[in-house]
Amino acid sequence: MSPRVCQIKALARLSVLELYRRKDLIVVFVLCAVILLPLMVFTPFGVSGASRYVNEMALLLVWLFSLVIGLGVSARLFPPEFESRTIYPMLSKPVARGTILVGKYAGALAASVSALAVFYVAYGLLAGVRQGVWFPAVLVQAFVLHIGFLAVVTALGLLGSLVLTPSANLTMMGLTVTGMLFFGQRLPALAAAQAWPGRTVLTLLHWFGPHVEFFDLRQRVVHEWPSIGWEVCLAVLVYAAGYAAVCLMLAAFAFRNKRF
Amino acid sequence: MSGQRLQLWLLLFGAGLAVALGHAIPVCFEGRLPQARGEDVVSLILGDARLELSRALGEKAEEYFHGGVRNVNCTIHSDAGGHGHEEHGAEARGEKAGDAQDGHHHGEEARAPGNVPAGDVWQWIDGQVHVQAHRELEGMQMVEVLPWFWAACRLSAKNTQAYESSAYVLAYELGKPEEGVRLLEDGIRKDPAKPELDFFLGEIYFSKLRDMRRAEACFVSAREKCLVVQRDAARAEELLRLRLRAVFYLGYFAKQRGDLDRVRLYLNEAESLAPQHNTVRDLRVLLENSGTKNQ
Repeated sequence: MSPRVCQIKALARLSVLELYRRKDLIVVFVLCAVILLPLMVFTPFGVSGASRYVNEMALLLVWLFSLVIGLGVSARLFPPEFESRTIYPMLSKPVARGTILVGKYAGALAASVSALAVFYVAYGLLAGVRQGVWFPAVLVQAFVLHIGFLAVVTALGLLGSLVLTPSANLTMMGLTVTGMLFFGQRLPALAAAQAWPGRTVLTLLHWFGPHVEFFDLRQRVVHEWPSIGWEVCLAVLVYAAGYAAVCLMLAAFAFRNKRF
Repeated sequence: MSGQRLQLWLLLFGAGLAVALGHAIPVCFEGRLPQARGEDVVSLILGDARLELSRALGEKAEEYFHGGVRNVNCTIHSDAGGHGHEEHGAEARGEKAGDAQDGHHHGEEARAPGNVPAGDVWQWIDGQVHVQAHRELEGMQMVEVLPWFWAACRLSAKNTQAYESSAYVLAYELGKPEEGVRLLEDGIRKDPAKPELDFFLGEIYFSKLRDMRRAEACFVSAREKCLVVQRDAARAEELLRLRLRAVFYLGYFAKQRGDLDRVRLYLNEAESLAPQHNTVRDLRVLLENSGTKNQ
């Protein structure tokens, strides 16, 4: 194994340990249980048998908490190092800035994906027990695309942490991601309905904004639609990789020119 | 120390006095208290926003009905519900509910997936990832819409559509007309001014429970409420239609009793409201089938 890969692994491991040391995951899990358990035993109008609403709520929580964890972990990668000045001993070691950046990013992504895997396993077991269908293909695709979502979100969070203050970063990225989740699909129609400046802004947003709604397969999972083609899945993952790569390049540029 | 103890006892005494008065005053002055009964916590917090939120939940239920696809131009009532209503009307007219399934459009595209501008790869991906096809829940699957309708009904008693749709699902799709009746009675108690719930309750009594006496009482109530709220210009046409349908059912019941004079009265009422409406024709058919000519 090359020294650079070893360095990246060591940096990534630190980020993963940081997530589990902070016990964020346990809090999130308890919160999910508190919300979902009453819903599971709820019988509207005294009629039992409805399950999709529980699935939808569970997946909504998975999405919400994965966003919180992904953004939270990535936004916390550099600012504490700058504040406590521990970045200096790190930079004084024979490790390139690009390696530090990639290592930190890999750690944030690994930590977020590990939390996501726990969520999806829990969801799969919950759905399996309730409906008797264990980990269908569409759920596997939903998980794979969700990893793509986290790849984009953590890259955005990392980029933001180098050019914005922590609170501004979390606010901006949170708004961007939720805004795109809600309106990304409708941007062309919204742009078409606007006059000149608005139309241009929305068109630019459509072409260059992070289309995180591509990764959202909740509708198919909850309403038991068939899975998508794997070639589409691959196309979305290529999009995620491309978008994350561009964000990382911009972050590398910002990190290289950063004055401490 | 003794001062602290005195404070504690005073505090406990004050709390005890407040609790005792809280319990004693309503008992002592029962029926003479000037204040009206307070509203629940949800209405205090949300106020008029309740109806809007309730409608949003109703739309969510419609989305579930279409397999999670939004903005489809049909509703549970216009598709599945519509069948129910038309079938019942046809049943009362003595006709067969012919091609009731024609309203379904399974497999129809809500938005054609191939219909994206050339070169817009993002829209192509979106079309592949998010389902565009039109599908509807059927039979026991309809149970999936109930949680949303339940929340919509609980959130606002003024959301008549949510009550009607919930009762329709319970009575016609899930075979639980008693639950539907209970829900509609609850809705009528909470918002007594709306005639729609009385009418729909009458339909359930008529077609599902075969309780003609209660059904007639409901149609009478619906007709009377239509008369009371007929000045509502925004809903004038809707109320007119509802009144005509109630009048038809009342004519049908009158004919079952052999009270042809009453049928003629209802026919005259329907003619005065909308001479070209199907109800007028159907009431005439009722009279003609009885062997008596319309006068």
